[in-house]
Parts: sequence; structure tokens; C-alpha cells
Amino acid sequence: MTLFHRLASILRWIIRRDDADRDLHDEMQSFVEMAAADKVRDGASAGDARRMAVLDLGGVEQTKERVRAGRYGAWVDDVGRDMRYAFRTFVRNPGFSAVVVTTLAMGIGANTAVFSIVNAVLLKPLPYQDPDRIVMLSTSVAAREAGPIRGQITDGDFQDWRNQATSFEAIAYFWARADAVMVGEQAEYTRAGRVSGDFFRVFGVQPIAGRLFGAEEIRPGPANTAIVSETFGQSHFGGSREAIGRTIRVRNRPFSIIGVVPTGFSFPEGTEIWIPIPLPDAANPVSRGGNNFRAVARLKGGLRLEQGQSEMATIAGRLEQQYPDTNMGRHVVVMRLRDQIVGNVRLMLYVLLAAVVLILLLACTNVATLLLARATARAQEMSVRAALGASRGRLARQMLVEGLVLGLAAGAAGLGLAFGGMKTLVAFIPGSVPRLDEVAIDQRVLLFTLLVSMISSVLLALAPAFQASRVELESGLRQAGTRSVAVGGTRRLREGLVVLQLAIAVVLLIAGGLLMRSFVTLQKVPLGFQPERVLVANATVATADPRQGATLFFRDLLAAMSKVPGVVAAGATMAAPGRVDATGAYWIDHVPQPSEMSTGPSNVSSIVAPGTFAALGIPLVRGRDFDNRDVRDAPMTAIVNETLARQALPGQDVVGHTIVCAFDTLEPMTIVAVVGDVRQAGPADESRPECYMPYLQHFYNGATLSIVIRTANDPMLLAETVRRNAQELAPGVPVRFTTLDTLTAQNMAQPRFRALLIGEFAAVALVLALIGVFGVMAYVVSQRTAEIGLRIALGANPGQILSLLLGRGVGLIGVGLAVGLLGAVLTTRYLATLLFEIKPTDPVTYVAVAAVLATTSLIASYVPARRAMKVDPMSALRAE
Amino acid sequence: MEKLDIPQGTLDLMILTILAREPMHGYGISQRLTVLSHDQFHVNPGSLFPSLYRLEQDGKLKAEWRPTENNRRAKYYRLTTAGRRQLEQHRERWNRVSFAVTSVLEGA
Repeated sequence: MTLFHRLASILRWIIRRDDADRDLHDEMQSFVEMAAADKVRDGASAGDARRMAVLDLGGVEQTKERVRAGRYGAWVDDVGRDMRYAFRTFVRNPGFSAVVVTTLAMGIGANTAVFSIVNAVLLKPLPYQDPDRIVMLSTSVAAREAGPIRGQITDGDFQDWRNQATSFEAIAYFWARADAVMVGEQAEYTRAGRVSGDFFRVFGVQPIAGRLFGAEEIRPGPANTAIVSETFGQSHFGGSREAIGRTIRVRNRPFSIIGVVPTGFSFPEGTEIWIPIPLPDAANPVSRGGNNFRAVARLKGGLRLEQGQSEMATIAGRLEQQYPDTNMGRHVVVMRLRDQIVGNVRLMLYVLLAAVVLILLLACTNVATLLLARATARAQEMSVRAALGASRGRLARQMLVEGLVLGLAAGAAGLGLAFGGMKTLVAFIPGSVPRLDEVAIDQRVLLFTLLVSMISSVLLALAPAFQASRVELESGLRQAGTRSVAVGGTRRLREGLVVLQLAIAVVLLIAGGLLMRSFVTLQKVPLGFQPERVLVANATVATADPRQGATLFFRDLLAAMSKVPGVVAAGATMAAPGRVDATGAYWIDHVPQPSEMSTGPSNVSSIVAPGTFAALGIPLVRGRDFDNRDVRDAPMTAIVNETLARQALPGQDVVGHTIVCAFDTLEPMTIVAVVGDVRQAGPADESRPECYMPYLQHFYNGATLSIVIRTANDPMLLAETVRRNAQELAPGVPVRFTTLDTLTAQNMAQPRFRALLIGEFAAVALVLALIGVFGVMAYVVSQRTAEIGLRIALGANPGQILSLLLGRGVGLIGVGLAVGLLGAVLTTRYLATLLFEIKPTDPVTYVAVAAVLATTSLIASYVPARRAMKVDPMSALRAE
Repeated sequence: MEKLDIPQGTLDLMILTILAREPMHGYGISQRLTVLSHDQFHVNPGSLFPSLYRLEQDGKLKAEWRPTENNRRAKYYRLTTAGRRQLEQHRERWNRVSFAVTSVLEGA
């Protein structure tokens, strides 16, 4: 009850302050009048009576002050006054305020930007209904190393899971790729997903037009219906409802649109069209061999992830027993969908956030130093206030309020900066980071910015507040400010701040150095092929008879291209280097029985055209390239890489032996050549055994090939020629172009990004720290000018002065270095997984950073010290 | 004889007691206090008014402007129900404290 009354009266006081003040005044007046009246009655004169009455009151103003101070909510008044005062002070010093607010705004803005990315990618729940219940099921094979399509599942496994699992409300499997989609005449590459019946139920997606797949669509036999996204419907048909019933052609087969889903849904990875997977039947029996699918499911309400995981483990065990040939050693992993999607980038994003927080800390210490310098100059003002009755707490509070005003202003400015720079930043991030389209400044980001601003305010107000509370009345009032106010305390504070700055700079420099060295090492790794000046063209041919038509298209196109001037070599491959599309197992000189299918060593399989090795710059080590002998109905041939040759028949020549690859046929192929190794999955992974097969002997997989053309000049100049030739051969075929350089660079996108960004942060940190060192030395010199003058007058030579001044500086730098190195050792171990062939404690980096920092800091402290040596003793002493 | 200081914590009690009899303005309270204490306590307005305002903020007193006997305007304070309750509590505590002190003084 009392609390309620208090709050109410605080509110009343704030709202009707003027009335309350007048009321108080009137009450004091009435007291004085009554007291005076009494005294007059006792015999005093009117004038005397009044004077004595005022004395009795104890002074009108003083009493009023005491009443005001005693009110609850009095502090609100004070804070308000402090804020207005802080505002006026900053407006009067626009230069200083601008520097301070800008420095802080950049630090806070960087934090806001990075946090909004972290928020969108890692913190926000996925944009589906009840997203934490959605899981991804993948397989992991115990004994073998799994390839990049690790985790994909077979048709057979999925059917069994669906029939046996009870932990899920809905379970579905899918695969997706960019396909030639025709609406009207021209075909475009659009990502199309093939999904099983319950797919949309797993995500809880409802159509905004039409309906989802039902019993009519989920049946055996080729599919002929499709569901499209709202964006697709909008851009091709002018609206969602207009899209229903229309026909699109995917790979030249017609599909009728029966439903449209809202724009927000594009699983997996940018899919815009969904087509049902036919149920298995006699013509399309269940396959246990091909790991071509991924699976998602929705956990039943009330069940935990572990329960789902253990049920699937049991089912996997059962399948192992039932189908030992295909399922031996296969385990099922159940992971939350979000973890699956963002798991890879989590570490990198958190490292980024940590770095940017460190930068903000640095910026705060810099600003704190500036404020400290100003506080020293305001020592006299502080003393006057103290003399007028301000308590030390009050003075400290004023400093805090000033810090708050600065911090909030900087926070608002930083928010604006982040908002403006958001698009650029997102464009800069490697595309492999998921969910980038969801990055925005939302409530959580705003809250974060507010929090960061306030914490920064408090941090950077600490030093001046601490100093203000140690005001010494007399010395402050007497002196104009040079040698007042606990010089020793200020200096120690400043030095402490500089040590902190140096330490932060060291940590960031080492982190940046490690990441950069890692990136450079990665770049120097020989990839096994020559990516320069190679045009890569993707074309998907969809003709009536996919088997025949596609490969002929490529054969004719390649023939035409090799005659074009400027073409050094032309070829075609199923997957450009840097990607792995197919892995399987292989056997040398042996045809595996069905029971052995899961036992062969794994390899990468690839389809190529003759001339591809030359086009890609892969050396032919022994034997002959594919040529016009390796066609359909001719003896099957294959080419292997050195790793496979070494692994299969160490010490012997593998050419001439036969190989069986579990790819699309178990027919043995004669090995006709060995080629150099290629790092298939990017520079960070070792080369894997690889088996190349001629495209004309594998027509199914030869329908989608990437044409690779080595050119004498800029590869993109040939793009139009390729497109023209392609269109002549197969009108309406979509072609998209890129260069091998670009593709290869994508593999390095994340390490490059990390190295660049942290490197930039490190550079900024170094500059800020050096400014701090410079500032402290300049301050010390200015403080000791008189003493220096004295020493010079007494005969000290410049060298002695220098060593006197630098001595302390060197000590500071040393401490800062030591703390920073220690901090780096402790924190860089978290970077270990991001580094390539470099230890987090790599001595070369540490030594280099220490050397750089020591040198630059020494120079930064030398410059002001040098000025000290030129001090004229007479004027220095006189100024005292 | 020199004037006594008002003991810590007793001002509120005395204010409430005085106002229990009848509502009064600040000047009147200070005069009454002096009279009732046989001229021993002279309360400093610099202490009285802050206490009055605090008690009012806490809801123990209610204030309103009224004309005095001499037709001046003065701010009169009166006790609220909560104030009466507070008075009881203060009074009870004071009795216990003074009894305890007296016991110690007589027993030692």
C-alpha cells in the first residue's frame, strides 16, 4: 500500500512539478507569515518579526531544497537536470562530441550488423510451424569414410522407416536439383524438388491456392502434377490463383499445377517447384542401392529428440539384420533440422561476433581515455560543484549520465549505420551461409543494440566517474587544473586502459594472422587441375528419348566448339571439379556378388567426354584418353586417378586391369589410362580415388553435363557462341555460364571471408591501440614538462631524458603484449576447426604479431617523447 | 538549559500523535511540539517539513489548503486510516524500547 502511494506521488510530482513547487513555496510563505504574526503579537516590529521568522524557518530556499531532496523521485529531477547539462556540454564542444559519438557509433553499428546476422541464422527459429519438432534423418556408415553426400538415404530404407517408425507425425523424403523448366517457349533453370506425400505436412505448410498432394497424386506411375511457390506463380502467371490448372514442362515433361504455397517456403534451398515421387510398383521397384534422397520428419508432440533417435537406432539395427548386403553398418542419425542447416557456420559466426565485441571494447576504452582527459580539464568545475554541496556520488552520477547520453546517441547513430550498410554486408557474406534472406533488424536486434549502448555507456563512464568521485576540494579550487586531481590515479587508469587496448589488439591480430595464413596455405594447395580461363556451361537437354538425344547433343556441340577459334580444348563432365556428384564402391578384376555390395572401397565416379582432361588441365600419366572407340555397344572402358591406382594395385600398373564401379552398371570396364589426382571437394580435403567413365557409354547420366572449354582469352567472350550453337542443336535448351575460377573460388569463399573480415578488425584494433599508446605518452610528457625542463637545465642529455620517458612506455607495452599473448593462447583454441594446417599456437604467427606490435607501439610512444627532448628548459620552468 | 535534540526516529511518532488529535498546519505542529514538550524540543522546520512530505507521500497523511482562524491560507495535514495504524505501531514500538531502556538503567 505504501509502495503504491509512493509511486503515485512520484508520478504526480513529475507530471505537475510546477504546481507542486508553487505549493511548496506557498507553504513556506504561510509558515513565515504565521511565525511573523506571532512575533508581532509578542512585541516585535513588523520588519524584525519577518526577519526572525525567516531565520526560524532556517532559510526558505534551504528548507525548500531539503524538502525536495527528501522526496521520493527526487533523483528523477536530478537525472533530468544532468541530462540537460550533458546535452549542453556536448553541443558546446561539437568536435569532441562528434569524434566520440562517431567512434562509438561505428563500434555499436558493427555489433548490430553482426548480431542481426547471428540472429537470423542461428537464433531465430526456422520459419515453419513449430520448427523445433522438425528433424532430418540421415545415415552414417560406420566403417567407411563417407563422401559429401554422406547422410543421404535409399528409397528402400525410407519405405521401411515410414512403415515401422512411431515417433513421427509425418515423415517424408525428397531430392532436388535445378532443372530445365519451360513455361511457354523458353526454358530456364529452376530448382525443382521431388517429394513424397507427407512432405508439406512435415513443415506444416498450407497452400494459399489450390491444394496439396493427395491420394490421386501419390500413386505409382510417372507424376504429372506439381505445386509451385507464390513467387513462381506471380512471375509466370500473374498470380497464385491464376497458376492453378496451368501446365509447365520440367525436363520436357508436362505437369499440371494443382497448388501454390506461400513465398516463405522454399525448402530445400531455394526450391520453387515440387513434384510428387511415384510410389514403388512392379515397374519401379524399391531400390536399396542408390543413396539419392534426404529425409525429414516431424516429431510427435511430447516426444523428445532422444526418443526419436533411439527408435530409429532400433529400426536401423533391424534393417541391418534383414538386409545385410546393403544395410550392414548403416546407422541413422536424427538431428534437429536447424542444427543440420546451420551447424557448419555456427562457429564462424560466433567468432565474428566475439571479434566485433572486442572492437567495441577497444572503441570504448579509447573514448574513455578521451573523456578522462576532458575530466581532468574539468577538475575545477567538479571542485566548484563539490563546494556547492554536491556529494561524490552525485558527481559520479553526473559522469554516468553523460556517458549514457553519449552511449544512447551513439547507439541510435550505430543503428542507422547498420541499417544502411546491411545490404552490402549481406552481399559480402559467402552464399554458403544459410538463411541470409532472413537477415533483418527486428525486435531482438533493437533490444541488443539498446543493451550494448547502455553497457558501453556505463563502461566508458566508469573511468571519469571514478575520477570525479575522488575530487579534492581545495587543491582543485586553487589550481587551474594541470597538476590537480590525483594525477597518480589518473595516470594509472590511463595506463591500465592502454594495456587493455594493447591486449585486445594482440588477440585480434593473432586471430587474424592465423586465419590469413590458413587461407593463404589453402590457396597454395595444388588442386590437380588448371582453373584459369576455362568456361563452364551447364546445359540440360530434355528430348523425347532422353537416352539417345542428350548424349548426341553434347557430342555435336563439342564437335562444333572444337572448331571455334580461341578454343584450346573442349570437354564435358558430369560434375565440375570442386563438386562431387556421385560416390560408390569399386572392385578391381572382380565382379561383386549382391552380398558384397557394401564392402568395396569407396570412390568418386564421374562421366567425361574425350578431351575433358586437356580442357581441365589434368595430366594424363599413363595410357590414352577416351576417344571415338569408347562408344555405346563398344567394350566398356574407364580411366582412374593415381590415388585409386595406388590404393587398388600398389606397385603395379593398373592399366589393362578391369574395374567395376557401383555407379549405374556392374559390367567390368577396362582401365585404359591413369590421370593425375584432383582435390574433388576443394583444397582442404585430400584427393579421393576417382573413376572416370566415357559419356557415350552411360547415356542416363550423360544427359546433364557441364561443358568445359579452355580458352586462349577471356572465357566469357565465348559464352554467346556456345549458347548459339546449343540453341541450333536443341532449341529452347537453357544454358548457364560461369568460369572454373569462379567455381573454385566458391570453395574458398568461407575461409576467404573469415580471413578478410578478422584481418580488417585486427587492423582497426591495431590503429586504435596505437592511438592509445600515443595518447598516453603525450599525456605523460605534458605532465612532466616542468620536470624535464629542470633535468635539462641540470645537465641531462637528450638520451637520458628519452630513456627516462620511454622506460615506462616500454614497460606498458610489455605488459600489454604479455596479457594479449596469454589471452590469445586461451582463446584461439576455439578457432582450431577453422584453421587449415596451422595450429592455434603457431609460434611464427605469435612471434610476428609480437614483433609488429612492439615495433609500432615503440614508434608510437617515441614520437611524443622525442618532442620532450626539444623542450626549452627556461620556458618549461617558467610555465610552472 | 540548552535545547534538546529530537531523538532519532521519534519525530514521526510525535507528528502523528499531534495530528491524531486534530488536523494542523506545519507551523502549528512545530508550536504544539514545543509546548507539549515543555519547551524542551524545538523542531527545526528543515527537519519537520521533509518528514511531513515523506509521510504524505507514504499515504499516512493527507494535506489540503484551508483558511486559518485569522483568515490566512495554510496547508493543513490530517491523519489517514493508514496513518492511524502507523501511529499505533510506532507507539507500541516506542513503549517497548523505552521500557527496555528503563529496565536496563534500573537493573544495571
